[in-house]
Parts: sequence; structure tokens; C-alpha cells
Amino acid sequence: MKNDNPAAVKKITNKKIYLLVLLPFLVVVFLYELLPLVMLILDSFGLDGDKSVLFTLQNYAKIFSTLSYKKAIMNSLEITLISTVLGIIIAFMGAKAAHTSRGKFRSAFMTVLNMTSNFAGVPLAFAYMIILGTSGVIRQIANIYGIEFIQNFDLYTSKGLILMYVYFQIPLSTLLLIPAFNGIRREWQEANLLLGGRNSTFWFKVGIPVLIPSVFGTISVLFANALCAYATAYALLMNNFSLLPVNISSMFTGDIAAKPHLGAALSVVMMLLMCAAILIDNYVIKATTRWNVR
Amino acid sequence: MNKMNKVSANIVMTCIIIWLLIPLVATIIYSMFDNWTGIIPYGFSFKNYETIFGNASFLKAIYQTILICIIPIVLTILVVLLALFVVTIYFPNLEKYVQILCMIPYTIQGVILSVSILALYAKSGTFLSNRLIMLLGTYCVIILPYIYQGIRNSMHAVNMPMLLEAAEMLGASKLYAFFRVIVPNIITGITVSSLLAVGILFGDYVIIRNLSGSAVTNVQVFLYQTMKHSSTEASAVFVVIMLMTFLITALVLYFQSKNKLEQIQKEGR
Repeated sequence: MKNDNPAAVKKITNKKIYLLVLLPFLVVVFLYELLPLVMLILDSFGLDGDKSVLFTLQNYAKIFSTLSYKKAIMNSLEITLISTVLGIIIAFMGAKAAHTSRGKFRSAFMTVLNMTSNFAGVPLAFAYMIILGTSGVIRQIANIYGIEFIQNFDLYTSKGLILMYVYFQIPLSTLLLIPAFNGIRREWQEANLLLGGRNSTFWFKVGIPVLIPSVFGTISVLFANALCAYATAYALLMNNFSLLPVNISSMFTGDIAAKPHLGAALSVVMMLLMCAAILIDNYVIKATTRWNVR
Repeated sequence: MNKMNKVSANIVMTCIIIWLLIPLVATIIYSMFDNWTGIIPYGFSFKNYETIFGNASFLKAIYQTILICIIPIVLTILVVLLALFVVTIYFPNLEKYVQILCMIPYTIQGVILSVSILALYAKSGTFLSNRLIMLLGTYCVIILPYIYQGIRNSMHAVNMPMLLEAAEMLGASKLYAFFRVIVPNIITGITVSSLLAVGILFGDYVIIRNLSGSAVTNVQVFLYQTMKHSSTEASAVFVVIMLMTFLITALVLYFQSKNKLEQIQKEGR
């Protein structure tokens, strides 16, 4: 089909003019998203201090052979995984409770979740220093009453970080899981009871399998959230604790000498970790929602 | 059995509520007393608040926070509105690419985005190396997923092609109809997503720290600096920050419920 009709040709050029309206969006995305990312990936193959090298894997080799960088990756993974698992377990119980309960108690619960959902970063680290820091309020009380496990608790370690990470994971993950629980129908619970199943049978055979896709969807959000969290850790421990986001930032802003190429390689490693988590989650979600398609 | 369930549900919720409120409440109490070294704090006063509100750099930080929240949000909304307008009407086959572009920042997040922009532009010697411009550009991209989703969802909810057709039949141009008919119809959706964006930018520490140097500060940076020298003053800053955060959350919830109500009313008609 050819467009010889002048009116139709005019319409097509008109349509092209509308592409100009898309231009501001493309400029912003190109300048502040695509170009920086592509350059970051290319930079990761360059060498700090030697501009003539265009492609080398030395940065990556260095990351996986130097103890301190390996430690940063392991620390990040450890804290992220533990806080994600604990966060999702608590959120699951919380969302289940919110699903069972009605009325004022539930709305109070929802209010607190919403209120604290933006409570993270520097303010969170500060609040924990006030309650559990070296002269923290709860620690003082524990000293007076001789509560040992609080007296011995050191906030300025990975344990302290996990405690704070779990804190900021809970509101977010509970709020994400509550809608999923609404998908569980009361009829199913009744059917289970009529067929002689117990409450636990219902949850293990019906409830949890139905919820697994939503749970894993939430897990990938939590994983990303914890892996990329910077402010909470930095405000508490500054550069004294090796974590991926903290290491990356310091390589660019130069608390020590700046190493942008090595930092770029570390950033790529972190992005790969994120992608791996998302892919695993998507795989599980796909594998567990097959019953839904049938 | 059922009653047992409810009781245990209430116990779980109470535990979580207490767990979430302890750091908040303790810090709020801490900010209003001179000293808290025993079980009970003593010396109630608003001295800390007087000190911080008398501090010009705190007021400046608040002012700058508001400014660097509003500019990127207005820009991003405008850019996304225009993009979604042409894409849904004229180039529907481009829609999925716009979506991918809008969702990428969600997976890379603040740390990586800010360092990549810093590495690229800081030494470029052009206007792009201006710290404030770098910061605003990064903020635009960081909030892109939220703004995009909010606007797209509300556009789907109002059946945009039909409304535009109706407006055109009455003699309006598409662009005019878009800004005078569609935008007013989705304004609550836009408000909700921009408030979510305010919440995100308001809580930002890593991007502003990496990009702005000492050129611009926000309240988070101010809190960090204050807690290094005085925990009592910092606790007052903390309370101000939390109050602002709650206000933003409350507004989000208010507009969300209003949006739902509007939709129910529309469907009821």
C-alpha cells in the first residue's frame, strides 16, 4: 500500500512532528539514565591511573581476589539476606494478623505501618543510637535492671545493622503483602474445615502456596531495598564497615583517593547481584503460578 | 477457635506496633528533656527546638529541601505527561519502550545512579558539571518510575481515547483537550504519585551527599551533621523531619482514599 494521497502524506508528517513532544522525555532519560549507565559499564573495563587501557578485566580480577572487596560483597549479601528473610517472616505474620482482624485494632496497625514506611536512613540510624547506642536509653534501663542480652548488644556491628534493616523492611513488606491476603477467600477456609482439615493444614496446603508468588515479589523488593541501602549504614558506621554501596560511594567521592574505574566495576557487580535476585524471583513466581493458568 | 485466632492476631499486631514505635517515641521524648540517663527523663523543655529554629542553616536546609523536591517533580510530571500523551495517542507501539525506560531507575537505585552521573559529568567542564543541575537531573530519574506508574494507571482509569474523541468532536485540538480534559480528570492520581515522590526525595541522603558536595544541603544532611556534635539538638531535628514525613504520608493516604471514592462514584453513576 503506497500513500500517494497528499492528505495522507501530510498526516504522516504531522505525526512525525508529534515525536518532538517526546523529545524532553528522551533528553532527560538519555542524559541522566542511559548515558551514565552505559559509561559506567564501559568505565569498569578501564584502568585507574592509566588512560591508554581501553579494555581490561583487571578491575574484576582485583575485586574477586582482594579480601576487602570480597568482604564487602559478603557483608552486603549477609545483611541483605538475613534482613530480607526476617523481614518477610515478620511481614507474613503481620499481614496474616491484619487479614484475620477487623475494626479499630487493624486500622491502628495500618496507621503505624504507613507512618513508619518512610522511616529509614539517617533518622533511623539516629533513633537507634538514642535507644541502643553506647549511652542509649534502653541500654541505661538494662544496666539498672541487669538485663544482660541488651547490655551485651553492640549496635555498631553487623548485628546492629541487621536490626535496623529489619526495622525498615517490616512496614514496607507488610503493606505489600496485605493485598495478597485479600486474595484468600473465606470459602476456601470453610471448605477446608468441612473436609476435616485443620487450620494449619489450610495454611500449608492452600494459603501459603497461593501466596508464594506475592511473597517472592515482595522478597525482590526487600532484597533491592537492603542491598542498596546506604544512609542507614553510613550514618551509623561511616566507612568503618565494609558494604558494597558504602565502598562504591567512597571510590567516587574520594574519602580516600578516588578510584572511579574500580568503583564502576564494583557497581556492575552490585547491579548483577540485583539482576540475579530479580531473575531468581521471577523464576520462582513463574514456577509457582502455573496452577493459575490452567 | 476463631476467637483464639483473633486474639493471636491482635498479639502479633501489638508486638509489631510496639517494635515500630519504640525508636520513634523514645527519640521524641528524648528531644523534650534536658537529661535522660535513668529510667525517667527529667528537665522538660523546648530548648532544643528553640535552638534549631534559631539556627539559620537549619531554616536554609528546610528551604533548600523543599526547592530540590518540587523542581524535579514538576519537571518529571510535565515530561512524562507529554511523553505518555504522544505515545498513547500516536505511537502505541512505543509504549513498552517508554515503560522499560521508566522502570530502569527502580532497579539501579540511588547509589549507582549518583556515582555514574558524578563520574560522567563532574569533570566535563560544561553546564552539566554544575552540582545543582546534576542533582536535579538525578532526582528526576529517581522518581521516574513512581510518577510514570501513577500517571499511566490514572490514564487507563479514565478511558483517555474516548474522552479525547469526544472533545475533538466538540472542536478542541488533541493537545488542548489533553491538558483541559484529561489532566484535570487525573489530577488526584498525579497528586498521589507526586507526594510519593516527595517522600522519596525528602528521605534522600546518598544522592545529595555524592553529588552536591557542600553546594546544597537537605534536612537529612543537616541531621547527619548535627548528630555529630549534639545528640539533643539532633533529636529535635529528627522530630521535625518525622513530622514532615508523617504529613506527606497522611496527605498521600487522604488523596488515595479520595481517588478511590471518586472512582466508586463514577462507576456508580
